[in-house]
Amino acid sequence: MDCHQCHRCDSSPSSRSWWRRWRPAPLESQLRSSEAQIALVGMPNVGKSVLFHALTGVYVTVSNYPGTTVEVSRGLMWVGDRAITAIDTPGMYSAIPMSEEERVARDVLMSEPLAAVVHVVDAKNLGRMLPLAFQLIEAGLPVILAANMMDEAHRLGLDLRTEILAQELGIPVIPMAAALNQGIEELRSAIAQKIPAPSPVTASAV
Amino acid sequence: MNVLSTIEIGQPKTIVGYHTQDATLLRKLVTLGMMPGIEIILEQRFPSYIIKLGHTRTSIDRETAESIFVQ
Amino acid sequence: MNPVVYPEPIEAAIARLEAWLRDLGDRHPFPGYTLSPRSLVLLLLQKDPALWEQLQRDEEQCREVEIEIAVAQNQLHQPLELAIAQTRHQQARMLERVALQQPKSGTQPWAETLHQITVNPITGFPILVVILYLGVYKFVGEFGAGELVDRIESFFEGQINPVVDRFVAQTIPWEPIQDLIGNEYGIITLGIRYATAIVLPVVATYFLMFSLLEDSGYLPRLSLMLDRLFKWIGLSGRAVIPMVLGLGCDTMATIVTRTLETKRERLIATFLLSLAVPCAAQWGVILGLLAQKPAALIFWGGFITAIFLGVGYLTAKFLPGASGGFYMEIPPLRLPKIRNILTKTWVRVKWYFWEVLPLFIWASVFIWFGRLTGIFDLIIRAIEPLTLALGMPKESAPIFLYGFFRRDYGAAGLFDLQQQNLLTGNQLVVAAIVLTLFLPCVAQLQMIVKERGMKIAMAMVLFIFPFAFLTGFIVNFGLTQLGINF
Ligand SMILES: Nc1nc2c(ncn2[C@@H]2O[C@H](COP(=O)(O)OP(=O)(O)OP(=O)(O)O)[C@@H](O)[C@H]2O)c(=O)[nH]1
Ligand SMILES: [Mg+2]
Repeated sequence: MDCHQCHRCDSSPSSRSWWRRWRPAPLESQLRSSEAQIALVGMPNVGKSVLFHALTGVYVTVSNYPGTTVEVSRGLMWVGDRAITAIDTPGMYSAIPMSEEERVARDVLMSEPLAAVVHVVDAKNLGRMLPLAFQLIEAGLPVILAANMMDEAHRLGLDLRTEILAQELGIPVIPMAAALNQGIEELRSAIAQKIPAPSPVTASAV
Repeated sequence: MNVLSTIEIGQPKTIVGYHTQDATLLRKLVTLGMMPGIEIILEQRFPSYIIKLGHTRTSIDRETAESIFVQ
Repeated sequence: MNPVVYPEPIEAAIARLEAWLRDLGDRHPFPGYTLSPRSLVLLLLQKDPALWEQLQRDEEQCREVEIEIAVAQNQLHQPLELAIAQTRHQQARMLERVALQQPKSGTQPWAETLHQITVNPITGFPILVVILYLGVYKFVGEFGAGELVDRIESFFEGQINPVVDRFVAQTIPWEPIQDLIGNEYGIITLGIRYATAIVLPVVATYFLMFSLLEDSGYLPRLSLMLDRLFKWIGLSGRAVIPMVLGLGCDTMATIVTRTLETKRERLIATFLLSLAVPCAAQWGVILGLLAQKPAALIFWGGFITAIFLGVGYLTAKFLPGASGGFYMEIPPLRLPKIRNILTKTWVRVKWYFWEVLPLFIWASVFIWFGRLTGIFDLIIRAIEPLTLALGMPKESAPIFLYGFFRRDYGAAGLFDLQQQNLLTGNQLVVAAIVLTLFLPCVAQLQMIVKERGMKIAMAMVLFIFPFAFLTGFIVNFGLTQLGINF
């Protein structure tokens, strides 16, 4: 259902129509010049695509059911004055894929150089989501845990002890409600700390 | 010990094991969090089984429900 | 840092295999991967299909790992994979207990009650009927395909077409060029008119309604309600969402069949999408056409549903292999956000419109070229016997030709014929059935080739084309024999 994004995601375009070529494609060239990449991963329907939109301004389909996103999308996000590429991925239940779109997500993790991996979880179902976090940490990936849907967790009377979680996992934990635009800036600063300082060579080249 | 598909609706039960040799099915149950030791509530049988597990609801078919033992 | 410590036999196997990987040096089986050795080894122990496929290129390495798995498995009282998963889950639950606390009890949200009545079969099926009636029949059918189409259509007929015709007549001296832009088959007067006046309103209203269903969280509930029915045609409840999306745009839906588990299910779903699931433009126009004849509408709907189920049943019966079981997380019902609904509808409609517009324009150009050279008349004459066999007047031959470009273009042509009162009720029904079953559009075909491969796409085309005409023939024959007139 993401085919309308073909001009900006890396799947092959479904429509090779003549007028497409007239359209400018500024994003592609910008993506090429970006310094680093981060990926948003997590189980289905936890708010990855909402968060992707909040970070990059690029709209990808958001719906209230698991399996909305089936293709990878890329967008440019700003961290301070530096532009980096953010990747939205299809939801995955575990490191071992059960369907095609889960494989797509794993391929991103396995083959792309990533400065940070934002693992988005549904805070009210933390226990069910943590095994994936363990697997990402085990893989040696630079994981940041985005504890999303805090608004719904609060409504259920749940209270997340962020520091304990961060300490136990040994990774940054950011509580947020992406759909309400809460916690986005905090996440952005956490990402900033994972981005390597620009080396003089690339800095002058840009 | 009972099969999940036969238990009473609305009563909390604990998963104790599986009754299947199907590796993919096992993998699926595990990723959905239906592990031994987990407490679940059966909410509905027809047209599909609905299971509440913590704050999550999951729907499964009869074959899947028949492959889970609870107590 | 290791977040999880596994039972001793597993940790021992991990340690040995990690050392083994390190010693392999440049014979390392997975040089391209950036993952840590520990996680690679864990994936191997869990028999990860992708990694094993690579490993199996080297028999010796394969055996090495299998021995380690056997050694570890021997010391465990449950399957290795389960032991790994369970260790993680136990750890996760322990962490959850300390990190996520419930000091106060939450409020029972309204969504909970609503959830109960949507999944309870006694209330759920009536609710589905109400949604279909209000959303599909009233909103898309009567408002989109009726009201909106009429208005935009008469705007074109009254304001745009005459102006274009007059303009080309005055400025362009050569008649063939006039016909290219204006008059009966012109780019503006036919191609752009079809796209904006007939297809656009229907597609826009359907996507608006569909987005509302998507964002509320109703679709997973629909999936669980229809799972048993879908099992019957070799699919599972998971296929409900692609099918409902297909009622908007089959091309998008073909991509979404990726969420299905087995190759067999993806194949059946792709096939049914291209045969018996009409896209919004198509069924919207048909709904608008048949709205005055409820019996004909019900017959058409019932017939297509029967084809969907019947062909699905037979395909499932003859296609080897098993289909996956049904499992689906049911997210809470949420209040849809207006902004997201509007953005999503806008993005989809825009995509769809830009997808069909050039095709419609090309079709106009082809028709123009065909008429100019006489090829059009030749083809029409070749199709005429086929049209007559369906019991259709020969004026309807062009719509089948249009149907080759796009099913919805054919449907839009049907709309024009109907406006001229050229068709009887039976003929409308037969034409609607043939066009619904007709070949998928070019974009969808491209997608089928991309997702399922050339061979399967060709096989589908070779089946669908004669099947559509044969079905139309049988329906016409049956209706005539039984003396039914809509
Ligand atoms: N209440 C609340 N809802 C949210 C929040 N974040 C996302 N949602 C909703 O959750 C649903 C899923 O959001 P998506 O962004 O599509 O989820 P996703 O992780 O991309 O899902 P997949 O693409 O299926 O993997 C949508 O209905 C969102 O509106 C949040 O912080 N609070
Ligand atoms: Mg998504």
